[in-house]
Amino acid sequence: MTLAPAAPAVLCLALAAQAPPPARLAASLARVFGPGARVDTLHVDTAAVLRVSRNDSLLGFAAVGNVLGKDQPITFLVAVGPDDRLKDVDILVYREPYGGEVAYESWRRQFRGKRAADSLRVGREIRGISGATISVHAVTLGVQRLLAALTAWHQRGALR
Amino acid sequence: MRSLRGWGLVLALFPLSLRALAAQERTTVGGYGEIHYTDATGPNTPAEINLKRFVVYLAHSFTDQLVFRSELEVEDAKIEGGQAGGEVALEQAYLDYRVRDWLTVRTGLVLPPVGIINETHEPPTFNGVDRPGFDHDVIPTTWRELGVGALGTVPGVAGLAYRVYLVNGLRADGFSADQGIREGRQEGREASFANPSLTGRLEWTRPGLKLGAAFWYGGTANGDTALGTGSFAAPVVLLAADVRYDVGAASFRGVAANISVSDAAAIDRRYGTAVGSRIAGGYLEAAYNVLHLLAPASSQKLAAFVRHERYDTQADVPAGVTRDRALARRLTTAGLTYKPTWNTAFKGDYQWVRNAAGTGEHEVLRLGVGYQF
Repeated sequence: MTLAPAAPAVLCLALAAQAPPPARLAASLARVFGPGARVDTLHVDTAAVLRVSRNDSLLGFAAVGNVLGKDQPITFLVAVGPDDRLKDVDILVYREPYGGEVAYESWRRQFRGKRAADSLRVGREIRGISGATISVHAVTLGVQRLLAALTAWHQRGALR
Repeated sequence: MRSLRGWGLVLALFPLSLRALAAQERTTVGGYGEIHYTDATGPNTPAEINLKRFVVYLAHSFTDQLVFRSELEVEDAKIEGGQAGGEVALEQAYLDYRVRDWLTVRTGLVLPPVGIINETHEPPTFNGVDRPGFDHDVIPTTWRELGVGALGTVPGVAGLAYRVYLVNGLRADGFSADQGIREGRQEGREASFANPSLTGRLEWTRPGLKLGAAFWYGGTANGDTALGTGSFAAPVVLLAADVRYDVGAASFRGVAANISVSDAAAIDRRYGTAVGSRIAGGYLEAAYNVLHLLAPASSQKLAAFVRHERYDTQADVPAGVTRDRALARRLTTAGLTYKPTWNTAFKGDYQWVRNAAGTGEHEVLRLGVGYQF
């Protein structure tokens, strides 16, 4: 599905009731962008976007989102490069007893290199996980929305 | 402007109200259901349409770690005194305490984690209007018993998860020749704890693939002196394995189970039920999403599937019991599952019901709808 340009801010905060533990977020950014990068927090509309750079060269942006699994929020991170391609997805906090397989690298890596305009359908571009159907659909939709929001903000110059 | 070391400051910029919400209690409602139309061949088998299941899922998070989860089910739309059919029952009701990824402590009415359907039974998750016959007569879904257990991921092994429960036992007085251990379930209703039982599962998952191995072990005598008064008197040992594999537009699943009722002779003498001393079987299913070819742009699914089941609730019988070969069943089911969304399904299938005795063989046409949310 695609996102109307006006909507991203609302969507990505729709379930933003959960903040990740700082250490978990720091570790995730270090993993995606490499250690020692500089991180600045930018406020776009009502959302917080992390700008990651090293030695004055931009490495990319990241944002934290939440989607509802079966009964708990799933807190995830989407990181994009300066070219608006998705660098990686990370599951920062998973709270349910089932479906935690969405945190596996083998599943998350399917999103790498995707752009906001790319189709992300479970069962097609994104392989599903038996027994984790709800989480797979929720995270895929959440990633799609956050990727669209970051791309829209970047393209209209709100992120630079 | 700060480096990764200064994360406290960055987090301070996340609105405080959001962090406060994290501690708030939260109630979640969900559900699933299915309606079945069934038309069997043969005399005196008029077609029937039934609101087979209506289930409400209710969960409440007391904290991020402590969550109550339940499923309340109405079967056959209504119950009325003196009439057959209809049931209102709790399918699950337990309190989860999540300590770590590798340990959640679960207490309450739980699902023995055997086979595929018992734990994952929402109608859009399986092909065919009705659940496989195997998941009725061999693995008695929806099987739930009261107890306590633990579940989580196995640390250090990517993709490996476990569940293990100590629950009340089965009751041998409910066993039967044609449905095995099915009516020996107690389902949380003033259950006898004369025979504690253990059940558990190891599961290995990666995208597109899930492999599981499960067991149940427990006595069934319920203190009946004819069968023995020990905790593990008249034991039932169930071993099961299952696989789910998706590749491209194709998906496959298979389950096999073997149930040993080693004291079947004594149980048959005591209750005259001719329960088999071994109950065994399984099924294989293959499906193909034809929209993958016909409508590549679509995110909908139209799966054509075929499933073959073979099981025998009298795979072995104790000496003196005559084996009923009609219980060695062979079911072949072919049909379509149309899923406009991942959580809704319109189904139609045709089933050939056969057995080793060649008696009472017939075919069944089924149509159905199912949903989950």
